[in-house]
Amino acid sequence: MIKHLMAGINRGLGRHRPGRSLVILPDDIFLVSFPKSGNTWTRFLLANLRYPDEAATFANIDRLIPDPTGTNKKDFDRIPRPRIIKSHECFDPRYPRVINIVRDPRDVVVSQYHYHRKIRKIEDDSPIERFVERFLAGETCPHGSWGQNIGTWLYTSEGDPRYLLLRYEDMVADAARELEKVVAFLKMSVKPGQIAQAVERSSADKMRKLEKAQTDLHGLTRGSRKELSFVRAAGSGGWRSDLPAPMVAKIERAWGPIMRHLGYELSTEPSPSSSSSSSSTEARDDEYLGFLSGSARNS
Amino acid sequence: MIKRLIAGGKQFLGMYPPGRRIAVLPDDIFLVSYPKSGNTWTRFLIANLVHPEKNPDFSNINDLLPDVEGMSKRDLARAARPRVLKSHQYFDPRYPKVIYVVRDPRDVVLSEYHFDIKRRAIAEDFPLAQFVSRFVRGELNHPYGTWGENAATWLYTRRGDPRFLLVKYEALQTQAIEEMGRIARFMGIPADPKRIASAIERSSADRMRELEKKQGHLWSSTRDTRQDKPFVRSAKAGGWKAELPESSIAEIEGAWGGMMRDIGYELAAPALVHAGMGHTEMERA
Repeated sequence: MIKHLMAGINRGLGRHRPGRSLVILPDDIFLVSFPKSGNTWTRFLLANLRYPDEAATFANIDRLIPDPTGTNKKDFDRIPRPRIIKSHECFDPRYPRVINIVRDPRDVVVSQYHYHRKIRKIEDDSPIERFVERFLAGETCPHGSWGQNIGTWLYTSEGDPRYLLLRYEDMVADAARELEKVVAFLKMSVKPGQIAQAVERSSADKMRKLEKAQTDLHGLTRGSRKELSFVRAAGSGGWRSDLPAPMVAKIERAWGPIMRHLGYELSTEPSPSSSSSSSSTEARDDEYLGFLSGSARNS
Repeated sequence: MIKRLIAGGKQFLGMYPPGRRIAVLPDDIFLVSYPKSGNTWTRFLIANLVHPEKNPDFSNINDLLPDVEGMSKRDLARAARPRVLKSHQYFDPRYPKVIYVVRDPRDVVLSEYHFDIKRRAIAEDFPLAQFVSRFVRGELNHPYGTWGENAATWLYTRRGDPRFLLVKYEALQTQAIEEMGRIARFMGIPADPKRIASAIERSSADRMRELEKKQGHLWSSTRDTRQDKPFVRSAKAGGWKAELPESSIAEIEGAWGGMMRDIGYELAAPALVHAGMGHTEMERA
């Protein structure tokens, strides 16, 4: 009762976090990804690109690139338009424009495993095998499984001019090049050097330093284990050494076709570039495309 | 400020329909469909199967099979468990068990067209072809995505999952007994043939039309709509063949032909889908 009353009062004052009741504006831009796919890094990159006069930090990021589950309604209402909003949701037809970050699920699972240790969601010595099983079943977060989350977006939106898909791995390889795509997608006008500055201000080293100084200022890290860092390897392909082979095989079995579609080479089959496998490549792509041979969101 | 405080008060009292924000319980069963896909009929069928003693009609259907978009959070929290909940939402990973009713989009658009006239969302002489274009583009009077988006997000994520049951509206029409048997087994209800036959009989289009005449003004979906137009309309499959312009049929099949064919809806102009609407262009460059 008291809890309900407090929630009502907080709501009246705009102190609640809007979550799924966020009122979406027609010029909103959503930065969407499955958790642990470089969403925070991309938030920094976009914040530093959009607001060159105010370097992004863990203390101001919720205000610059708000999060419906982390930023309160009052702050939401003060953000200049068009807003860039962080989200981990599966496909939502109300989102007007979407930048979707995807990351190799073999790296995502390793990253989420370490993050759950850091925030004490799992024991330090909890076996990664059990975590992978739960990850495949979509039980490690409330946003569906990795395959469901990215699948709902690809099936409905790929090829749509209101949708931009970026791979985390491409961002790691050349962040400036990927930001150029964002600039074109959002039709932003940027000054020379602005992209380079955004990349520089969002480097893994900078973010690690900020994390150390500001760990208690952000909901992602507040109260978590200090000896484990949030900004971890910040690279790609760590799964090759960190993930046991049977777990790699399980992930590739579950999501192989969609991984191949995204350009993630499978370790359990010959490389798709070899000439002899071209016919099986087509068959597999059909399998991924499944029943949907027409775009669901036609434009 | 006043508006916000009222919103706060309503929040406190749970007086808003939660829709996508519903608190999901682990034993919930969701009856999901795109609007105008036989959801109300299926609600009656299931209510008559589960609660024959309550004589389901338009006055109590919201109590027997609550509506997450049309009822308050408070009333939903009070519903008897396990709840069977009606929803039009696109994929929500939190829904535990889902019965998804799918209907041929060429019939869905006709049904939506007539319903929008009934509820005065469009004028009676609004051009049908223009309505179809809006339907395909997703310019809709509701927040549930396009037909293709709604169906694809569920079919892609849950097909083959033991917690997901796909029911075709058309199959419910032609083989109601078998389909109701599948639904009963999925819900864990004894699939007693007599009970199923009686549920089908009591949910017939004729009976629902009679109930609507008497109770249309009581029910949230028909209250304040034009009473000269029925909610329970033809209740048939394939009306599009006579009513939809050829160009509109091509427009729908061009957008969703692949998925329609896969669900088992025969295309009027399959050549069109082959001619470049295929998904192979999704191949990564």
